[in-house]
Amino acid sequence: MSIRFEQVTKRYRGVPVVNDVTLEVAKGEFFVLLGASGSGKSTLLRGIAGLTDIDHGRIALHGRDVTFVNPRDRGVGFVFQHYALFRNMSIADNIEFALRIRGVPAARRRERRRELLRLVALEGMDERLPSQLSGGQQQRVAVARALAHEPGVLLLDEPFGALDAKIRTELRRTVREVQRRLGTTTILVTHDQEEAFSLADRIGVMHMGRLLETGQPQQLYRQPATRFVATFLGAANLLLGEVATPYRVRVGQAMINHASQARPDAVSSTEVVTVVRPEDIELARHRQVLANPCLGEGQVLETSFGGGVGRLLVQVGAGANLRAAARVDAQVHPGLAPGACLLEVTRTAAEAMAMPLAAGDSIALGVRRLHVLPTPVSSFLFRAPTREAVLELRQSPLVAQLVQSTRANLSETIVAEEQPGTATLRSAGLVVVDNTGRTPAEIASLVAHGARRLLCVPRGAALPRRVIIHCPDDAPQGEAMGLVASLVRHINAEATFVSVMRRDAVAAERTRVLRRLLDTRAEVRASHGLDLRTELLEGAVSEQLLALASGPDPALLVMGIDGDRAEIEAALVRDLGWLFDADARWPLLLSYSGPRPAALAAVL
Amino acid sequence: MATPAAWLEERGHASRWRSRMVRGLLIGIAALFLGVILLLPLVTVFVEAFDRGIGFYREALVDPDALAAMRLTLLVTALVVPLNTLFGIAAAYAIARFSFRGKSVLTTLIDLPFAVSPVISGLAYVLVFGASGWFGPWLEERDIEVIFALPGIVLVTLFVTFPYVARELLPLMQMLGTDEEEAAISLGAGGWTTFFKVTLPKIQWGVIYGVILCNARAMGEFGAVAVVSGHIRGLTTTMPLHVEILYNEFNQVAAFAVASVLSLLALVTLAIKTAIEWRTGHRGGH
Amino acid sequence: MARESGLQGWRWREASVLPGFGLTLGYTVLYLSLIVLLPIAALVVKATTAPLDAVLHTLAEPRVLAALRLSFGAALLAASINAVFGLVVAWVLTRYDFAGRRLLDALIDLPFALPTAVSGIALVTVFADDGMVGQWLAALGLKVAYTWVGVTVALTLIGIPFVVRTLQPAIMALDPAVEEAAISLGASRWHTFLRVILPAILPALLTGFTLAFARGVGEYGSVIFIAGNVPLHTEIMPLLIIIKLEQFDYTGAAILGFLMLALSFVMLLVINLLQAWQRRRLGLGA
Repeated sequence: MSIRFEQVTKRYRGVPVVNDVTLEVAKGEFFVLLGASGSGKSTLLRGIAGLTDIDHGRIALHGRDVTFVNPRDRGVGFVFQHYALFRNMSIADNIEFALRIRGVPAARRRERRRELLRLVALEGMDERLPSQLSGGQQQRVAVARALAHEPGVLLLDEPFGALDAKIRTELRRTVREVQRRLGTTTILVTHDQEEAFSLADRIGVMHMGRLLETGQPQQLYRQPATRFVATFLGAANLLLGEVATPYRVRVGQAMINHASQARPDAVSSTEVVTVVRPEDIELARHRQVLANPCLGEGQVLETSFGGGVGRLLVQVGAGANLRAAARVDAQVHPGLAPGACLLEVTRTAAEAMAMPLAAGDSIALGVRRLHVLPTPVSSFLFRAPTREAVLELRQSPLVAQLVQSTRANLSETIVAEEQPGTATLRSAGLVVVDNTGRTPAEIASLVAHGARRLLCVPRGAALPRRVIIHCPDDAPQGEAMGLVASLVRHINAEATFVSVMRRDAVAAERTRVLRRLLDTRAEVRASHGLDLRTELLEGAVSEQLLALASGPDPALLVMGIDGDRAEIEAALVRDLGWLFDADARWPLLLSYSGPRPAALAAVL
Repeated sequence: MATPAAWLEERGHASRWRSRMVRGLLIGIAALFLGVILLLPLVTVFVEAFDRGIGFYREALVDPDALAAMRLTLLVTALVVPLNTLFGIAAAYAIARFSFRGKSVLTTLIDLPFAVSPVISGLAYVLVFGASGWFGPWLEERDIEVIFALPGIVLVTLFVTFPYVARELLPLMQMLGTDEEEAAISLGAGGWTTFFKVTLPKIQWGVIYGVILCNARAMGEFGAVAVVSGHIRGLTTTMPLHVEILYNEFNQVAAFAVASVLSLLALVTLAIKTAIEWRTGHRGGH
Repeated sequence: MARESGLQGWRWREASVLPGFGLTLGYTVLYLSLIVLLPIAALVVKATTAPLDAVLHTLAEPRVLAALRLSFGAALLAASINAVFGLVVAWVLTRYDFAGRRLLDALIDLPFALPTAVSGIALVTVFADDGMVGQWLAALGLKVAYTWVGVTVALTLIGIPFVVRTLQPAIMALDPAVEEAAISLGASRWHTFLRVILPAILPALLTGFTLAFARGVGEYGSVIFIAGNVPLHTEIMPLLIIIKLEQFDYTGAAILGFLMLALSFVMLLVINLLQAWQRRRLGLGA
C-alpha cells in the first residue's frame, strides 16, 4: 500500500471537517477525491502533506508512519490551485529548488530539470520568470517542480480550477500522461465530476468530512450506495419502489428485475429508494411500443437542446402511483400538476430526430435499468398527535439537518397518543416521534407495531456532535449498522461503537467482547464503507453509557434491538432507563431487527 | 539506536515545538523593541509631568506663556487645516477625475514637502520673506511682518502639512471611480450638486482621515516653526516651542506638563485614526 | 499619459463629462506654486547663484563635514536597525494573532502623531545616564544621551512606522501556498525565509529602509535634545543650518539646505525605481 489513512479526523472549533476517513491508495494509482467545496477534501489532502495537523488517526506513506513527521521530510510533491511558484526565481530555479536543498550536484540538477520540462512540454522555458508564462504553463511548471525530487506521492489540490476550459483539458491529459509514465501514486482533489471521471483509476466521494464511497468511476456511477453519490455523480431520478421479490422491484406501474439483491433486509413490501439515470428512461408515443417495462404515462414539460444529447423534463401524473424519493421543494416547475412526479430524461440526437417532442406532448415512459440503494432511510414519517407537534418535531436541529441533507420524502400521521400503530408505520423508512415524557413501554409498543427504524427526539435536543452506538450482546447488529451508516453521513458527528462488559469478566469473556468490537468495525467498513471508532468500557451498561453520553458534546444514542414487545421494553429500561428522565435531552435511534410482528404479517 | 522513522518523527515533534518557540520569540522581540523605543518614552512623558503632583501640573498649564502657546497653536491649526483640506480635495478631484498632460509631475510635486527636511522648509521661507529675502525689503517698507511672526508660522505649517489630505484622497478617489458622478450628471444634476451629494459622501472617511493626520502634524510641527518663529515668548512660541524653552530652562516638569497635553492629542489622533481604519477596513498610505 | 491619434491632433486633456476641471486644477496649481514651489525656488536660486568659493568654503568646514557624517551615518544605522526589527514587528503583526496585537499595531503610528519635540525630551529622559533605560546601559559602559548613539536611537524611533507600514502590505500579499510549497519540497523554515519570503518582500523592505533613512537625515525635533549638540561631535545637519541662519549666513544655510534637498531627491528617485522594480518583477506592470 502506498498511501494509507486510518481514521483521520480534523476538527475546526470542535466540528469535524474531516471525519474518520480510512482509505488505502495502491502504489501507482491515480486517486481522485471528489466533493463540493467545504466537504473536507482539501483539508484531507493537506493533512497527507503535513501542511495541516490532524487531530486523530494515522497517516502512512509507503508503509512508513508519517503522522508526526515534518512536512519537509514526508517526500511528497504538492501542486496548489494557484500554482504558488516562487515569483522571484526563474523556471529553472523553481524546478531545481527541491534538488538544491538536497544538495544534488548542478549537472544532475540540470539533467533532471530538462527531463521534467520535456515531460510537461515546456522545453526551452528555463530562464523565463513565472510572470512571463500563461496560467496553464505556470501550472505545468508547478507540476514539474513538485516531481523534481522524485516524491513517492504526488498531491494535487484543485490544480486546474483557475484555468479556462480548453487549457484545462489539455493540462489534464498532460498530468495523466506524466503520472502514467512515472508511476507516481497520485491523489487529486476536485469538485468537477467530469475531471474525476476522465482522470481517476478510483474515485472517492467526500461529503461533510466523510469519505462516503470509493470505487472505479463506472462502478460509482452504475451502483452508488448513497443518495448523495447517486445525485452528485451525474443526474439521477430517485424514485420510491417496493420490493416484490428479492430480485424484483415495483416502481410505479412497472415491475423491474434488478441485477443484485441490494437490500439485505429486503422482504416483500419493504420501501426502497431506486436510482434511474436519465439515459435509462425510454420514451414512446404509446406504452404498447415500449421495449422496456412501463413506468407510467406522462406529459413533456420542457425540452432543451444540449448538443449531442437532448434533455427533457417529464411529469407523470398522480394516478400512475409513481413517487419521487427526493423532495422538489425549491423550484417547483410551473407546469407541474399536484401530486405528479417530475422526471429528467436524456436522449441522443438520433433518438430525438426519430421522435421529435415538444412541451405538452403525451408520452409513455419505460425503464431500461435501475439500481436499488441500500439505504434504509427511504422516507421520513412523522408521527404526532397534532399538526403543530409535527412542525415542532421538524424544527428540532437534528431532524431539520437530516431532512435538509437527505432530501428524502416526508409524510406525517396525526394520531392520538396511546392509539396503536397503523399500517403506515410498517412501510415507512424512518419513523420520527417526540420523546418528551414518553415511557419505554410506549416506545416498545411503536416498535412492536412495525416502526423498525424509530428516531425519538426529545424537545430541546441539540444537534449531536457524537453518535454512540450500543447493541446489547445478543442483538444482531447488521441492520443497526446499516441505519447508522446511512444517517451519520448527514450529520457532522463522530460515531463510536461501544461495548460494555462486566468488571469481573473472565479472560475468555473479554476476548469475546473485544473480538466482537473489532469484527463489527471491520464489517461496517466492508459493507457500508463507514469507519467507526470503537470503545470498550467496563462496568454496568446503563451507568457507563450515561457517563459517555454526558460528555461535553451533545450525543445521539443508537441502539440495536430485537425480540418481542416485552423484551424491547426490558432492554430499554435496563440499558437506557436514564434516557426517559424528565430532563433528559438525548435523541435516541432504535433499529429493530427481529421478525415481523404476527399481527402485521396477517395484514400482508 | 533510533530507527530513521523514529528519528524523523522525533524531528517532526521537535519542529512543531520549535515553531511555537519561534512565534513566541518573535512576538517577544517585537513587543520589547516597541516597548523600549515607543511606549517607554510615551509613558515617561506622563510620569514626569506628574512628578511633582497635580497642583504643579495645573500651574504649569495655566501659566500665561503656556496659555498663549496653546492659543497660538490652536490659531495656526485652525487656519492651516481648512486651507490644506480644501486644497487636498481640489487636487485629488482634478487628478483622479481628469486625464491631462503633466499629471504625474503634479502628483510628484504634491508629495514634495514630505521629502524636504522641516528645517529646510523654514529656511526656504526665510529666503523668500526674511529681511534679506526676495520680498523682504518690499514687506519692510509696508511694515508687514512675516518671518518671526504669525504669518511665517502659518506658512511653514502649511508647507509641512501640505500633502496629507491630498495623499489620502487621491488613491481613494482613483479606486472609487467616476461611475456614480457620471450617473448623477446624466440624471441632470449640476456640478456642485454632484459634488456635495455624490462625491463628498463617498470620500468622507478619507477626508476625515487626512484631516486627522494633517491636524496632528500642524499642532506638533517643531523644526520648521523653530526656524521662522524667533522664539518670542508669549507671542510666537507654539506649544512644541514652549516645551523646548521650558526644557532648556531646566524646568523639566513644566516642559513635560505641556508635552503631556500634546501627547494626549497624539493618542486621540491615533484612536480616531484606528477607529476609521476598523470602520472602513482601509489603511492609509503615508 | 494620454495619447491621441494623429488626426485629432495634440490635446492636453481628454474630454470628460464631469465639471470642475478648470476650477480644481487652477486652484491646485496656484496653491502649489505659492506654498511649495516659490520657497523651494528661492532656496535653489540662492544656493545656485552663490559664488563658487563660498560653496567650497562652506562644504570644507570641519563642522559641516562632521555633521554630514553624523547625520548620514546615524540615519543609515537607524534605518538598518529598523529594517531588522521593523521586519520582525511587521511579521508578527500580520502573521500572528495574539492578545494586544491591535494595540501594538496602533502604536506603530505614534511617531507620526507625537510632536517631535515631545519624543525628543522623552527620549533624553529615558536614555540619560540616570534614566530608566540609560542607567542600565551606562552600567554596561554605553553612554546614549548626548552621543551619536543617542542620535541613532532618536532616528530609530522616527523611522519605525516607515519600515513597518511599507512591509505590512507586502507580507500580507505573500501567498501562504508559496511557503507551503517550499516546505513540501523539503526546505527548512530558515531556508524558506531566506530563499522565498525575503526575496519577495525585499523591494518593500528597501523602500521602507530608504524612507526611514531620508526622514532620518532631515529630522530635527526629536534629535536635538538627545544629541547634546557638541560641535564636531554631535551636531546634525539641520542644526547646522539653523546655526548658520542665526549667524545671518543665508548663503551658507542655503548651500547646505540645497545639498540636503538634492540628496533627498536622489533618495526619492531610488524609492520610485525600487517600486517600479517590484511591480515589474512581480509581473504587475505592463
